[in-house]
Amino acid sequence: MAKIEIEIDGKMVRAKPGEMLISVTDREGISVPRFCYHKKLSVAASCRMCLVDVEGAPKPQPACSTPISEGMKIHTQNEKSKSSQKAVMEFLLINHPLDCPICDQGGECELQDVAVEYGSDVSCFSEGKRIVADNDIGPLIQTDMTRCIHCTRCVRFGAEIAGIMEMGGTGRGDHLKIEPFLTEGVTSELSGNMIDVCPVGALTSKPFRYELRSWQMNSTSTIARHDLVGSNINAQTYKGNVKRVVSGDNDAVNETWISDRDRFSYEGLSHENRLLEPQIKIEGQWKEVGWHVALDYAVKGLTSNILNNHQSDQLGVMASKTSTVEEFYLLQKIAREIGSENIDYRLNIKNLDNTAKLESNIKLGGLEGVDHALIVGSNPRLEQPMINHRLRKASLNGTSVDVINSMKFDFNYQLNSENIIAPNQIASTLAGVLSSVLASVSIELPDYLQSIKVSKESASIAEKLNNSDNSVIVLGEHVVNAENSATIVNLIAQIAKHTNSTTLNLSTTANSLAAELTGFVPGSKGMNVNAMLESDLKAYILLDIYPEYDFHHADKAIDALNDKDNFVISLNGFKNDIVSEYSDVILPIAAFYETSGTHININGDMQSFAASVVAPGESKPAWKVFKVLADLLKLPGFNYVDSTQITEEVSHQAHNNHLHNENIDLSITSDNINIIWQQSPYSIDALLRHSGSLQQTKIGKLNFAYMNASVAKDLGVSADSKYLGVPVVITDAVADRCVFVNANKATQTGGES
Amino acid sequence: MNEVCFKNLDKKDSWSLAVYEASGGYSVWRKILRGELTPEQIIDELKASGLRGRGGAGFPTGLKWSFMPRNSAGQKYVVCNSDEGEPGTCKDRDILRYNPHAVIEGMAIGGFVMNATTGYNYIRGEFIEPFNRFEGALKEAYAAGLLGENISDSGVDFNLYAHLGAGAYVCGEETALLESIEGKKGQPRFKPPFPANVGLYGKPTTINNTESFASVADILSKGGKWFADLGVENSGGCKLFSVSGHVKNPANFEVSMGTPFKDLLEMAGGMRDGAKLKAVIPGGSSTPVLTADVAMAMTMDYDGIEKAGSMLGAGSVIVMDESTCMVETLTRLAHFYYDESCGQCTPCREGTGWLYRALKRITDGNGKDGDIELLLNVQDKIMGNTICALGDAAAMPVESFLRNFREEFEYYIEHGKSMVKG
Amino acid sequence: MISDQAKKQIDAWVAKYPEDRKSSAVMEALKIVQAENDNSLSAESIQDVADYLGMPGIAAAEVATFYENYNHKPVGKHVIRFCHNISCMLNGSDDLISHLEDKLGVKTGEVTKDGLISVKKVECLGACVGAPMFQIGDQYYENLTAEKIDEIVDGLK
Repeated sequence: MAKIEIEIDGKMVRAKPGEMLISVTDREGISVPRFCYHKKLSVAASCRMCLVDVEGAPKPQPACSTPISEGMKIHTQNEKSKSSQKAVMEFLLINHPLDCPICDQGGECELQDVAVEYGSDVSCFSEGKRIVADNDIGPLIQTDMTRCIHCTRCVRFGAEIAGIMEMGGTGRGDHLKIEPFLTEGVTSELSGNMIDVCPVGALTSKPFRYELRSWQMNSTSTIARHDLVGSNINAQTYKGNVKRVVSGDNDAVNETWISDRDRFSYEGLSHENRLLEPQIKIEGQWKEVGWHVALDYAVKGLTSNILNNHQSDQLGVMASKTSTVEEFYLLQKIAREIGSENIDYRLNIKNLDNTAKLESNIKLGGLEGVDHALIVGSNPRLEQPMINHRLRKASLNGTSVDVINSMKFDFNYQLNSENIIAPNQIASTLAGVLSSVLASVSIELPDYLQSIKVSKESASIAEKLNNSDNSVIVLGEHVVNAENSATIVNLIAQIAKHTNSTTLNLSTTANSLAAELTGFVPGSKGMNVNAMLESDLKAYILLDIYPEYDFHHADKAIDALNDKDNFVISLNGFKNDIVSEYSDVILPIAAFYETSGTHININGDMQSFAASVVAPGESKPAWKVFKVLADLLKLPGFNYVDSTQITEEVSHQAHNNHLHNENIDLSITSDNINIIWQQSPYSIDALLRHSGSLQQTKIGKLNFAYMNASVAKDLGVSADSKYLGVPVVITDAVADRCVFVNANKATQTGGES
Repeated sequence: MNEVCFKNLDKKDSWSLAVYEASGGYSVWRKILRGELTPEQIIDELKASGLRGRGGAGFPTGLKWSFMPRNSAGQKYVVCNSDEGEPGTCKDRDILRYNPHAVIEGMAIGGFVMNATTGYNYIRGEFIEPFNRFEGALKEAYAAGLLGENISDSGVDFNLYAHLGAGAYVCGEETALLESIEGKKGQPRFKPPFPANVGLYGKPTTINNTESFASVADILSKGGKWFADLGVENSGGCKLFSVSGHVKNPANFEVSMGTPFKDLLEMAGGMRDGAKLKAVIPGGSSTPVLTADVAMAMTMDYDGIEKAGSMLGAGSVIVMDESTCMVETLTRLAHFYYDESCGQCTPCREGTGWLYRALKRITDGNGKDGDIELLLNVQDKIMGNTICALGDAAAMPVESFLRNFREEFEYYIEHGKSMVKG
Repeated sequence: MISDQAKKQIDAWVAKYPEDRKSSAVMEALKIVQAENDNSLSAESIQDVADYLGMPGIAAAEVATFYENYNHKPVGKHVIRFCHNISCMLNGSDDLISHLEDKLGVKTGEVTKDGLISVKKVECLGACVGAPMFQIGDQYYENLTAEKIDEIVDGLK
């Protein structure tokens, strides 16, 4: 659109017609005070702080809701503007407590900042001030509603971004009160953003309550690693500790929002369970030792168990999928240099013999532009909150969304259809979709589809995909352990190919993409994790693994690792009894925020970050440990001075992904009850499990095995009993012949039925 | 007197379809259904009539109707504002009770002109009797084949519903009213966009006052000029005035625009008990108060009242005699605005509370030096700084009471008691 | 719990609005449910209404607390809503409210011991030419005097 010219404070400025004045002044660096305006929320125009003088208008106009037009002349600094702004400031302050020294927002308060410029030294207000009673709205957000200036940013955030209206304004006039309804408080997975958007001390971080002033802390920008978005965050630190995390801006990644998971997980850093000293096990007794001793012991163990016996292929290395690019890369390099290709990170996969991978070929921003989405096997709201946010934005813009899931979930946008099907039946539904798609483009059906009967649901899903110019198929984590998961993946790839759909694979969560890129997968001569556990290997190096949470075959893994003839080197951030039992050396390592590294997100962005704080005690960044270990093992090629050299090396030798093939076997079916086992959203990694406040939330407390009455009867459980150690909930929301588990505690069965 | 909205007032069952039709009712609507009137003709006639919005803002109705994008695709709405709540105003209640079909016909005509096939009449929640009369009239109109789809095979659709409020003065503001129909708090929307583009449910919408709609059919049947000639220049037609307060026979009077105030006072039986006139609020509680002398010299039309220093508003004439304590009266009005502010805009939410608390302190006998300046200062800071006119409405009485009756306030502050009542 | 009878009444209101705009009926739905529950609304009944109309509980709560016609604590079987705005005030409403309070032995905002009557001061009810006035239920009573008030109140059962 052609630009127009307007005049602001005597300066000619070009802008788009119809653009709101405040976005023009913001772009031009002209300061206009505001409270209710937020660039990512709808306009309220109610605080009246941004009133400016527009020539020709009898009254001052709010910059946030005044669309510009050719030739407009605006004065932001003249008497008329200033007197309106000062009037509003005075009104805002009459009922606002003037006790900034005891307010948690002091020093980072928009009201305080603006008051310095627009406020008056003396107030002529002598009536009683308004006092507002506070409700407890949950473990994450502290309220002090007497300080509320009714900007409604939190209300609009809930209704517009979180997609669940939890805060509202009750009463009217002087009695208007911002609060949630009933007693459940605020439960959204994005709730912490309300703290960031609140311009005053009404909503502040509860875990950070009265800890420090903002100016006492250093802020470092870093990357959150709990999901495959890699939200940009700022860690605020004081004397070597992370005290608070707030969101960073990156429109291509997380815009300006972050999930509660990314915001509050830092609490785990200071948990008493942190490992602080290297330990070696001598004759069954643990002994804390210095790093030299511990690493010598590790090298000796590897030497005597495998190297001296020319049994280098007896080494297995495994890593948590939250590891960094550098950590993955160095550990696999150690293994390969020693001579082993037994390398794997896919600890939670039940069957690794027949796997297929779906590539992700759409970026986060692109998700907003699709006209149709098909989601298979995911509860994106809780599992990938920031991706769900993009899908919700798309939906609000008219994108239709079909879902194939095994349980009904609480989507915060409208679904076109919600098909609830047990994991093992999903393949046949998708086969019907593919058959329908192929028929519509007159492609001859392959043999495996000949006998498929296309259901009404499949036909309708196919029709949507066929009629869309720009659709995406989103694959989640729920089908990774279905008996025919490879078939499901391959069917999706075929459907995408024939409907020109993009695909998004949410099962590559945390930093899995980095594992793939760095080759942290079994080589052609190597074994996958499940094979390793069957093979009585002589030595292991395990990076940040907590077996009772991480392995699908947890019992089998613990048994294998406990074999008395093997030598196990564990690198962990937190103490763990099972790890202590099977390990011979335990090396304390830096957790999130304590190491530099790189995360690869779904966009393919390699986002590197520096350490925000130094790791506690003797713990060290794992990549440095690997470098020293490699040196001690006299392995070549580990002369790195800093971690950027590693990422450079990685980018030169990216590994090939073995992607989907067309081998589709629809004969795999079973009458077994399907179990979808998931750690709850706030229990997916060790740091989260040690984050106290998150564990107190409704999401943190998710620990249920959902099933319908007939499955419960078959399994012989009831509503007051447990299944696989998890309390049973009987509900029709789950597909028949299916159990959906969200666990926040460890059970050593790891979902094995 | 009583030539338009109240023309059937003296007839038995004036609200019935039979009485309405006997006086020419629905003849315009039937003409439209026969295809004998075009939207352009109707708008021209309305423009010629000089009809201005009777809810208080006084915006020319013909012009307003011409703003609707009648040819744009999609649903459009016509909405009647019967959320009568401005203190001193009670005319729409009587139109709904005694002449509901005039409102229905006016809305149907509006729907036709603006290509809106659905209408809502927003009636304040307490008006149960008027609501029932209106619902009864709707039933009659539907039964007579005057409303619905493809009415009398004309190809014209118009469905009309009554919506009830639940007690909020601010819903009389047209965009708050739309929010309220949408099932939300009645918080006024900022403008632009205006309802003509983004109105009810986000669709183009025209909103008019009950009295405006009720005047439309007669204007079209007797001609715009006829209506204009009932009034004076710039204030066409006649207008309902609710005369309340210290008069002998308080009532609603439909009189020609331009009628001298003293004649209107006489119609209301003059001052009660021979008391002396002290002050008049001519257009409802939001309009500036006038002293007796000024009021007695004023004519009741837009320009006449403006010349006197106030506004015609909704034609709500509140008459006060010498026994009235202006400090206590203003305090009561300040309480009203404090109570009715929706709370979204800072100046209104905080300012109305401040004004009321300061005035309450004065009438409690705790006034202090500087309070008058404080009140003037606070009202000035509200004025012009809010989304809707409620802020201004709260401010204007304060300014005018203090300007015209300052000595009473000074006395109250100094002596801790009323100058009038002692 | 909303009774079937109330649901039918609510449905009649829902029918007035576009299909995807059920929440337009929230104001009447709240009144209908309030009438079924001794003239006041509990948080639970507000949530029930919200659920019935498919809107967030807090959105219904906003409405229920914004408009004046809803009660959030117990009120009498009959609520006398006495206008005390300007035209009524000029015509002696303050004295009449005192008279009513004395007669009933309660202050405005309170309920008589037998639970029969409560008195509420309200803003302008739009019957200024009939001032002073009050409303009981659906009915307006205008041109009130102390005697008239006595007669009306004595007739309440």
